[in-house]
Amino acid sequence: MEPFDLNRLKGRPPFPFETIAVAISFSPRLEALLSAAKRIADTLQASLLLIHVGEKTKEKEDRLEKLVTKLAIDEKKCRINWMDGEPVETILRLCKLNIVDLLIIGALSKENLLKFYVGSVARKISRKAKCSVLLLTNPSEEFQKVKRFVVNGEESPKSIPTINTALYLAKAFGVKEITVVKELHIPGLAMTMAEDNTAPEASKMKKDFAEEEEQGLNSIIGQCDAGNVLVNEKFIKGKPGYTIRNFAENKKADLLVVNSPDKKMRLLDRIFTHDLEYILEDLPCDVLIVHSRIS
Amino acid sequence: MKFTHFDLLALLSSIAIILIISRLLAELGRKVKLPVVMGEIVCGILIGPTVFGYFCPGLFDHLFPKTGGAKIALDGLTSLSVIMLLFVAGLEVQLSIVLKRGKAAIYTSFTSMIIPFILGFGVVWFFPHLFAFEEKRRLVYALFFGIAMSISALPVITRILMDLNIYKTEVGMLVMAAAIFDDLTGWLAFSVVLSMLGKDGEIINVWYTIGMIITFGLFMLIIGKKLIDRALPWIQTKLSWPGGVLSICLGFCFLGAAFTEYIGLHAILGAFIMGIAFGDSVHLHEKAREIIHQFVMNVFAPLFFVSLGLKVNFIQNFDLTLVCIVLFLAVVCKLVGASLGAWMGGLKGRDAIAVGFGLNARGAMEIILGTLALNAGLIDERMFVALVIMALVTSIMSGPLMKRFLTVKPERV
Repeated sequence: MEPFDLNRLKGRPPFPFETIAVAISFSPRLEALLSAAKRIADTLQASLLLIHVGEKTKEKEDRLEKLVTKLAIDEKKCRINWMDGEPVETILRLCKLNIVDLLIIGALSKENLLKFYVGSVARKISRKAKCSVLLLTNPSEEFQKVKRFVVNGEESPKSIPTINTALYLAKAFGVKEITVVKELHIPGLAMTMAEDNTAPEASKMKKDFAEEEEQGLNSIIGQCDAGNVLVNEKFIKGKPGYTIRNFAENKKADLLVVNSPDKKMRLLDRIFTHDLEYILEDLPCDVLIVHSRIS
Repeated sequence: MKFTHFDLLALLSSIAIILIISRLLAELGRKVKLPVVMGEIVCGILIGPTVFGYFCPGLFDHLFPKTGGAKIALDGLTSLSVIMLLFVAGLEVQLSIVLKRGKAAIYTSFTSMIIPFILGFGVVWFFPHLFAFEEKRRLVYALFFGIAMSISALPVITRILMDLNIYKTEVGMLVMAAAIFDDLTGWLAFSVVLSMLGKDGEIINVWYTIGMIITFGLFMLIIGKKLIDRALPWIQTKLSWPGGVLSICLGFCFLGAAFTEYIGLHAILGAFIMGIAFGDSVHLHEKAREIIHQFVMNVFAPLFFVSLGLKVNFIQNFDLTLVCIVLFLAVVCKLVGASLGAWMGGLKGRDAIAVGFGLNARGAMEIILGTLALNAGLIDERMFVALVIMALVTSIMSGPLMKRFLTVKPERV
């Protein structure tokens, strides 16, 4: 395989999604996954790239061909790649080579403890991908209207592109409002408050922090292009990643949109849990990890 | 030995005096922005042999007897206090913050730990005449001194960053991340050093100790943490609040401490790792965390820090040369190590130096470290006094110097 120049990806905006790849595994959920991917591609007017890493057999070819016909996937806008090799690396490499904007993968909502530490293909890809990744937990063959988007509003240079990506999807799918969640977590605050604060000082300190966080999120949202979509703000105390996951679950969100990790994720990030790992260990709904392509 | 009526009287009086006077002094110190621990140490010096014992020896011996039931009970309480202090220190060690901050945090954490350690170790190893120790303990003493130079005090640092309103800036988060890492590695390394000391002062079982620490640590952080995650929601909703979570957390703190003591490691290690496992749990409510801190920091911490002044005569054991050496080494080692790491991680000159001064605060952690080493017979009282003074001076100088070197208007992360 030819060496890939990463500079081709640098600076490319996270949306619009022009090329959407789908990692397929010939599981019982294949038809539902392809059906969901086709609906997304049609709505966003994107081309599809189907990737299967594994042996190419006549049986698999026939099944895929039948599905493409059944789902009326436009063959001019759809390519199929059959590859051999290690699944994660091969899929990621193909995504880079084809300048894929969004990779769609089917994923189980929850994995057992061993699998969480060892890692499934979907999770491994989510941690390493250089493009945005959509993890579909329960893809459906039937059209289902999406209503509720929950978006991560952490203080990070990636948040503006992430919220804009969520807004782009909201506009395309007719979602009228999204909720941007800011998780309030100040390590060491309890320890500092415990020692030398009078009650009014402690309250003032907490209030100041809350106000600062509110200003931060307002400033981020102010720089986004909401158009006609209503952007709600929500502040929740708790650990980043875990808190937004619970919020998305309780609100029965259709899609949770978060930033891609700032660095390469390793085993240590699962032991000393990284924000993204809290979401990956128990997906509350479909999850979109937006790769803003800024470092 | 029977615990008599007079023992009980002495114990209750001494605890009352410790809590009331230390609180008053801490409040006075607070007015001029001095750390609470300073008030507690000064209280110990005032009511201990240095001042009160010197002027009123009879009354001092009556209130703080050197033998008997009251003495044993107070020693027991201070041992419990140090275990709980390490537990609450562990509660704030969230390594995910270090890992999340990436390259700059890794560089700063690593160099702010390793450079002071190497320099501290090297000074003892190559200039042993500056210090007082038995030759057979040279390695352990050098290891201890290296750790004493490399440790940082997360509580003081957090306070400074909040006072300067730079907690959420790039510099602030970097200092926090590195302080967390220094705390974690420092206490793990110190547990190894303490466990290396045999009863007769010989070095024993290094690999056994390291192996056990890794096994216990990994077990608690992988399996233990998951069990805690399952149990905490139940504890916090089904048991009385906040009594339930307080009892269970401290119960497990002592259980962890007892376990590590049983397998030949020091009790503080079990408490510290148990603290990390509880503190890392997403289910530990912020309010519960605050209550645990309040309980330990306002009741048990004064008992511990004041008791130091009761044991040691700070005037008799004040050695100006040693204090200057320890203070100079501590400041230089930390400043060089931390600033270099921050600079390698991409910070500009002045901000990198500000990071160095931020991490220079040693505070209560250094004093606990010194006390444990003194109790283990590893250091003498002169070195202990030098470490306490160094801890207090570095804590006081850290904030103003950090402010001086920070570039104006640090950008938020």
